[in-house]
Amino acid sequence: MTGTSEAVLKGKRILIAKPGLDGHDVGAKVIALALRDAGAEVIYTGLRKTPDYIARIAVDEDVDAVGLSVLSGSHRDLVEQTRASLEAVEAGDIPIFLGGTIPAEDWPDLYALGVKRIYTSEMPLADVIASIAETLK
Amino acid sequence: MTASSARQRRLMARALSRAADASVAEVLASTRGSAGVCRRIGVTGPPGAGKSSLITALARRRLARDGDIAILAVDPTSPVSGGAILGDRIRMEDLAHNPRIYIRSLASRSSHDGLADNLADILEIVESAGFAEVILETVGVGQVEYAVRHVVDTTLLVLMPGAGDQIQAMKSGILETADVFVVNKADQPGARQLAAELASVLKLKAPDRRGSSDDWQPPILSTSIQDQASVAALAEAVDRHQAWLVRHRDVDERLERRRAQHVGSLVARRVAEVLKELPAELLHLPLTSLYEAVVERLTETRPSSGVENDHRSRGLLSKAR
Repeated sequence: MTGTSEAVLKGKRILIAKPGLDGHDVGAKVIALALRDAGAEVIYTGLRKTPDYIARIAVDEDVDAVGLSVLSGSHRDLVEQTRASLEAVEAGDIPIFLGGTIPAEDWPDLYALGVKRIYTSEMPLADVIASIAETLK
Repeated sequence: MTASSARQRRLMARALSRAADASVAEVLASTRGSAGVCRRIGVTGPPGAGKSSLITALARRRLARDGDIAILAVDPTSPVSGGAILGDRIRMEDLAHNPRIYIRSLASRSSHDGLADNLADILEIVESAGFAEVILETVGVGQVEYAVRHVVDTTLLVLMPGAGDQIQAMKSGILETADVFVVNKADQPGARQLAAELASVLKLKAPDRRGSSDDWQPPILSTSIQDQASVAALAEAVDRHQAWLVRHRDVDERLERRRAQHVGSLVARRVAEVLKELPAELLHLPLTSLYEAVVERLTETRPSSGVENDHRSRGLLSKAR
């Protein structure tokens, strides 16, 4: 484990988005800063964004990945909708990462919906960054 | 957003990424040219002056004119990691659903003048995609951002009341070059005083401006995004300046100035590239020899791939010994 000090994400553009109604964005901001420290250019949407809005920003900003932060429990619906919104604008190829309070029993469904990786708050930040970098290589 | 318009937006977005990522060599190899058909508005000013929010209000106003609007917002790149948080568009959310608006966040990367690497190419791509107007938001670090005037037609300097030393801090550069001065957040205390200070400083700075009626007189406007009339007045001031440019400034001259800025930014980046590739041994040379070694590398060949750079390092090193 090399930590997050290396620029393993140099040259990547990543959208960090908060869909749905929960108002907690500390986790999203922590991830955004860690991604920046790993060399990525991070676009952060702010709270309570619709899947269509997220898809449009993903297209306009030409991002390499979309990171969704969901703590409301409605991750299944929001992932499904975001996926559909991305496909509607022919951007279904952009990988989705999911972070937040995501019970392990939901993971198989979420992977089936096209989520690339799932991260929870218990995971060390450095591992999360390394995993994202590995996936986007 | 329909699928076909989304496809076009994505193509342009990707072209912009490629342009932003291009090395100096790649830029030189491409053969793009500027037609200069797009209205270019630059917005600069210190952090917290409300540039992003004001741009949002201004863009909404300016949609009443013909054509679509692109907004390019530059945020600083971390010199440590090379990463960046691009957050300007959070304050532009009201525009994000409008199909006639395209917002793109840019990281400054190696640029230190409030602009971004390869901005000239990025602007040209936006221009050739058919946008009628581009609004460019600079980083907002304060004193050095008069570089923006070389890539746009109309430069807006946005200030806010309460930061009393702003004018002092900017006494040269941007104060002489802005086309429109904006006292934003004009509903806050101190706005009137700031406008008055600005007026007196400008009078001192440019006494010759009073003489000729043909010269552009930079207006000082007070704005508040809650006050629609003030935003409308700003949108009109931009029109007035654009119309003045058409009457008094040669298009070719503007394009030449842009080209000078473009080549200057490429040379600056190339110098940075050469310095980065410089073998540590060379740094022991006396300053004059070191300078000559750097200049030699700059003039030797066109900037090229790493392999050739290796050859060049070796050649130069043996000479240095």
